[in-house]
Amino acid sequence: MRSRLLRFLGRVATTAISLSLALLAWAAFAHYFAYPDLVPTPLATFETGAQMVRSGALLDHVAISLQRILVGYGAGCVLGIAIGTLMGRIPIVAQFADPLLQLMRPISPVALVPLSIIWFGIGDLSRYFIIFYAVVIIMIMNTAAGVAATPNIRLNAAKCLGARPRQVFLHIVIPSALPYILTGMRVALGFAFMGIVAAEMIAAQSGIGYLIMQSRTLLRTDIMFVGLVTLGVLGAIIDGCFKLAINRTMKRFMEHQVNV
Amino acid sequence: MDVPAESEPSGQSGSPVSPALPAWTELALDDVSMTFNAGKAGEYAALTNTNLRVRRGEFYCLLGPSGCGKSTVLNLIAGFLRPSAGTIRMGDRRIVAAGTDRVVVFQDATNALFPWLRTQENVEFGLSIQGITKDDAADRASEYLDLVGLRDHAHKYPYELSGGMKQRCQLARALVIEPEVLLMDEPFGALDSITKRILQGELLRIWRELGMTIVYITHDVSEAVLLGDKVAVMRRGPGSSIKEEFVVDKLHPRKSTDEAMVALYARVEASLQQEVGVSLDAV
Repeated sequence: MRSRLLRFLGRVATTAISLSLALLAWAAFAHYFAYPDLVPTPLATFETGAQMVRSGALLDHVAISLQRILVGYGAGCVLGIAIGTLMGRIPIVAQFADPLLQLMRPISPVALVPLSIIWFGIGDLSRYFIIFYAVVIIMIMNTAAGVAATPNIRLNAAKCLGARPRQVFLHIVIPSALPYILTGMRVALGFAFMGIVAAEMIAAQSGIGYLIMQSRTLLRTDIMFVGLVTLGVLGAIIDGCFKLAINRTMKRFMEHQVNV
Repeated sequence: MDVPAESEPSGQSGSPVSPALPAWTELALDDVSMTFNAGKAGEYAALTNTNLRVRRGEFYCLLGPSGCGKSTVLNLIAGFLRPSAGTIRMGDRRIVAAGTDRVVVFQDATNALFPWLRTQENVEFGLSIQGITKDDAADRASEYLDLVGLRDHAHKYPYELSGGMKQRCQLARALVIEPEVLLMDEPFGALDSITKRILQGELLRIWRELGMTIVYITHDVSEAVLLGDKVAVMRRGPGSSIKEEFVVDKLHPRKSTDEAMVALYARVEASLQQEVGVSLDAV
């Protein structure tokens, strides 16, 4: 108990020191080397941010971006897990889908922005699509790998204990694939955060990506920094919560799954 | 058909495909052949015309050199594989798929046990998927955990168990659904020699108590003659089959230093030696 507390305090201390040092370096750079218009100081960024929080503008942008991420990410996860499961279970599906996936994998979501605007218009649908695309490929690949990696012995053990195919799938294949699926979901969340900026940079009137793009035309690097910091902080917080939720509820599936 | 006599050569073709079975028969393999990747690159004939009879309640040891197809025989009986030719019957039913009347204890316990379930939950698995209520399943699982001596470890996850305890857990998980045949694929092969001997003794005790049929695969001659009612030696692959059977009529506990046991050990080893091809007496 004591050692766990110490370890936790240690982590808090290193995190605090790491962030303070970065902040100091930023402040020193902005203060001594750069034009204030190009690199705002941390304090200026904070003041702009505080003002935007007070006016409610920042929260509006955050809310709309999160809502877009939620829809695109949710759809990408659901479809990715479904397709990945089919690929992992049915070899012929994997053989047909794999070349296509390998071709799509290097195509960045940013490259699809113009096409998605032509296809889905300038509304939210095209933005959902960009985030969906950023998420779905990695979810397919991770799920397929996890489902296919279920040890044969484990499947056979369940079969001779009386499990029907549906039960083998629900009680053995899915739990065996969970570490891969959940890890994929964490990585995909990062991809979704990268995708949202691409999706909102063109033809959007709201969201953090729009905020960053807009501040370029206004030459307001301080707002730009607020946008960037917001993205980083939001992403880190959500990932932390995700990790915590996995550790709390899925620990038995995440640990000690030995695939020899 | 008569009781398979000791040293009767089997695996000869020409016997009828499905002769009527005498009442004592638990398992019957008739002219079973197994070819992997038939007609493709990497075609391998593992078994050719394998015949065997296992009596109800018998402890049947299958002994053979590495790679001779022992595990293939077990996987066929378990229903994980379908034979390329021949029939496999349990009583008068043909085996076409895995079933709860034949449960396997695997050598690789780490992969065989479900790592996200506690010992107790692993043992309950076969019961709960049959729709048995949680309370009943828990009671019956506890009973079998007692039988294998794992009561105090019921709350542990498999990774927290030692190798011997993992095999006890597998044993309880298999026995709790009351199979007629227990299929054991070198179950104690990865254990240290002391743990192995303890578990062999426990297995015999449980076998006497419950009276199930055991098909036990091993490459260890002394293990086979110490445990089995019958020891079948397999030919070297490819195209393996049962070479000869030895009846062990000594009562348990058997002493490996006993004169009759020493003589039997020598005969079984000589039979195996011919199949290995390399001298086993170099050390």
